[in-house]
Amino acid sequence: MMGELWTRLRFFVSRRSRGELDEELQFHVEQSTAANIAAGMTPEAARRQALVEFGGVERTREECNEQRPGWLMETVVQDVRYALRGFRRNPLFSVTVIATLALGIGATTAVFSVVDRILFRDLPYGHADRLVSVGLVQSLEKQEFTLGSFYYYWKDNQTPFESITQEGGVEECDLTEQNPTRLNCASVEGDFLLTMGIAPIRGRNFLPEEDRPNGPMVALISYGLWLTHYNLDAKILDKVIQIDGKPVRVVGVLPKDFEMPRLQAADIVVPRKIDVGVQHKVNSGIGYPMWAFARLKPGVSAEQAQAALGPVYEYAQKIIPPEIRKDFHLKVRSLRDRQIQDVRLVAWVLLGAALAVLMIACANVASLFLTRAAARERELAVRSALGASRGRLIRQTLTEALLLAFAGAAAGCVVAEILLRVFVAIAPAGVPFLDKARLDPRILVFAALLSLACGVMSGLVPALHRPRAIVLAARSTNSGAHAGLRRSLVVAQIAISMVLLSSATLLLRSFRNLQGQNLGMQASGVLTVRMSLTRDRYASNEKKMEFYDKAEAALRRVPGVTAVGMSDSLPPGGWRGGMRYAEIRVEGRPRTPPGTGGAVTSRWVTPDYFRALRIAIVQGRNFTEGERDSSEHWMVMSKLLASRLFPGEDPVGQRVQPGLDAPWYTVVGVAANVKNAELNGEDTPEFYTLRRNFGADWGSHSVMVLETGLPPETVAPWVRTQIATIDPTVPVDVETMQERLSTLADRPRFETALLGFFAFTGLMMAVIGLYGVTAFMVTRRTQEVGVRMALGASRINILRLIVGEGMRLIVVGGAVGLGAALGVSQVLKSLLFSVGPHDPATFVGVAAVLGLVALAATLIPARSAMQVEPVVALRCD
Amino acid sequence: MPPSTDLLQGTLDLLILKTLALEPMHGWGIAQRIQQVSKDVLQVGQGSLYPALHRLEYKGWIESDWGASENNRRAKFYSLTRAGERQLAAELQHWDRMSAAIALVLGGAPEGAA
Repeated sequence: MMGELWTRLRFFVSRRSRGELDEELQFHVEQSTAANIAAGMTPEAARRQALVEFGGVERTREECNEQRPGWLMETVVQDVRYALRGFRRNPLFSVTVIATLALGIGATTAVFSVVDRILFRDLPYGHADRLVSVGLVQSLEKQEFTLGSFYYYWKDNQTPFESITQEGGVEECDLTEQNPTRLNCASVEGDFLLTMGIAPIRGRNFLPEEDRPNGPMVALISYGLWLTHYNLDAKILDKVIQIDGKPVRVVGVLPKDFEMPRLQAADIVVPRKIDVGVQHKVNSGIGYPMWAFARLKPGVSAEQAQAALGPVYEYAQKIIPPEIRKDFHLKVRSLRDRQIQDVRLVAWVLLGAALAVLMIACANVASLFLTRAAARERELAVRSALGASRGRLIRQTLTEALLLAFAGAAAGCVVAEILLRVFVAIAPAGVPFLDKARLDPRILVFAALLSLACGVMSGLVPALHRPRAIVLAARSTNSGAHAGLRRSLVVAQIAISMVLLSSATLLLRSFRNLQGQNLGMQASGVLTVRMSLTRDRYASNEKKMEFYDKAEAALRRVPGVTAVGMSDSLPPGGWRGGMRYAEIRVEGRPRTPPGTGGAVTSRWVTPDYFRALRIAIVQGRNFTEGERDSSEHWMVMSKLLASRLFPGEDPVGQRVQPGLDAPWYTVVGVAANVKNAELNGEDTPEFYTLRRNFGADWGSHSVMVLETGLPPETVAPWVRTQIATIDPTVPVDVETMQERLSTLADRPRFETALLGFFAFTGLMMAVIGLYGVTAFMVTRRTQEVGVRMALGASRINILRLIVGEGMRLIVVGGAVGLGAALGVSQVLKSLLFSVGPHDPATFVGVAAVLGLVALAATLIPARSAMQVEPVVALRCD
Repeated sequence: MPPSTDLLQGTLDLLILKTLALEPMHGWGIAQRIQQVSKDVLQVGQGSLYPALHRLEYKGWIESDWGASENNRRAKFYSLTRAGERQLAAELQHWDRMSAAIALVLGGAPEGAA
């Protein structure tokens, strides 16, 4: 056996000389001739007979070579070399294929890597598929919440859950040690970790007594805090740390991937220590807000759970005041749904766009391969006639397709990595987990395989055809083969481009509407200043008021600042105070029926707020500085609210009670409407209440707005200096209104930019595909054109012939695409702002652009067809 | 061309090995010998002979050497190696089993049908 292996190896290394084989075969023929002579033939006849009997020498030689061990590998190397030579000869083809593949694979992989993190990531909880978010929703709060007054009843009487738990949100807290640090502290119910399926990596969970009022002060800390603040010190357990000046014992460390179910950042988790008994008394008798999460019993779905919660929901309804009861609904949905809500549609749209681009890319590659194959039909026929076996030809074609696919996939990796970085860089802050997105090798492989399949399939189709003798015989090659397939590929490409292009244009128009809309206020030359006051230094409303009074006075002294206003929130979008329209009562009128009128926005402002933002007072007057010290309550309402509350009446001087137990306010003026919803949202009526110099008015957030004629970068340092003179420990966040608006538009900008990129890429590829097919047809028909011209066809006739063919493809593709685009735009509806999903201008415009570009792609080859010289065309073979 | 009998797959190898078991021989001689011994029933064309010879040589069952032919021409002589002898023995045994089996089937078929 060893001997045999040795022989093989020897032959593998040493090549047989061609001469030896020839000599051997030569000897055979001579022997045969000699035998024939001996049989009585003349020497000539004998030699002739011997050669006839012998048959094809070349074929025998080939076959002898094929016996060599390692012959197969040699042919692979040969095929690769041949393919590379072919690519060098025709670099445009290879570059186009590789670029197309790279774009298709890169875009799909990058987008899917992002979308995968958003839609399909593993939640860091045990059996996360059984976790749901439970609670009430209403017009003012569309995310589920519960209240202490009924949550504990639910907890005791619910049936569909294994357990239900709640968290009380995350608040800023200070780690008051040697280096005071601002942290985020989450407060949760004692069984929170158990229900969510989270196990501390060090230490233990909370004990039941630690979640009782006045129980021992304990905390779990995040892995991040453990790492950055305590350097992963194992002695962290049972260490007493100071939080907001109080000693708290660390009982455990949370896992690295820990996150709160509502995705707030949290460094420290403490038990909430809720006093269940007082929940019917605190917070106007409805109890503290709680965000509840539950673990479904095995086999129970969220819908079943919602149905099973009917009885306990009734209990909650009894607590809600009857006037607003109709506005509340029970909602149970999976935790994943709650987390991804509005990102879901964007994610699917992007994924769809990326897949569309991949499809166009595949069609393009297939079309390119078919074109090349048709052009090489003759070459294949010649090689076949020279003795190449069919298997050999197929192998050769496969080698070429594989080489290009690998090159394309490699380039695709690079494109994907670049695109991913671009996505992360331009993505708005609101898209969750984007920073954690990594290239997904599975998707890369999938996309690469898909394009490989396109290439291989289209490369194989012609090779599988037995090369016909007619190809060799005919003076011109047969152009009909696979033309139909190629045409339908182009039609598909144009159709998909149409869908992409119209979607992108819709988003672009919507984005421009968004940017160009009238905000009802001044954005340029406005600075917003936010300060976070620590809880231990500014515990009471009075202390806060005192600070902001000083800040207001100090900022008025800053040169170039012409107005200093205060508010608790700023338009547009973001957090803002609000209530139901039906809760607003007008003096001398019956109450509005409960549950009607939707939501109303409210803000606490100072008189300069309107001046700084240049919000016009259209009726009555602004608040006066003097009214800030008055014991009366004053209100300015928006034009929209005034027209709703006082249609045809003068609102000025009317008295209004906003809220069931609010004081009565006197309306002094009407302000112009301001964009107070999100940029793409429906505006709500709004009223402004004067923030007076009483502690009671300072319970909420605060933000300052400055109007200045100087550049913001000049004013900002002065602002910081002024605040530092009041309290140097207060962090100051200065932002221009322009920046704020730009941040708000980040999300639509991101969507528009990405979809636009895909649409552009898709269109480019489709146009290249169309150009390629038309150009190829023209080359193929050069002779025909020559004949036609010789028979008297004018150049215009020829142009019409070629362009007509292209136009047919464009029209069919465009029509199919238009139909599909109209359907797809329905999906985009909720992403659009003041553009209908069937916006005629968009669709007409896109169709026109697509038609023109496509026409241009056919005109270039058509021009070269027009310039065909009949004599030359007829003479060439 | 005289009507050729298609050789069973692998049979040509066996015939070549068997022929070479007698004495080293060149390609032409092997073809002639097979034709003679089979009384002109088996005609080995060069198109299958030479690839087979090369295949057997690559497998190490036969080896080749240049020598002088009967009419003093340079010719390539093939001879059986040790491995070739073992292979021949194995294939002969296999052949015997196969032909006996085939004979059984062919001989037994009429009885079975009756």
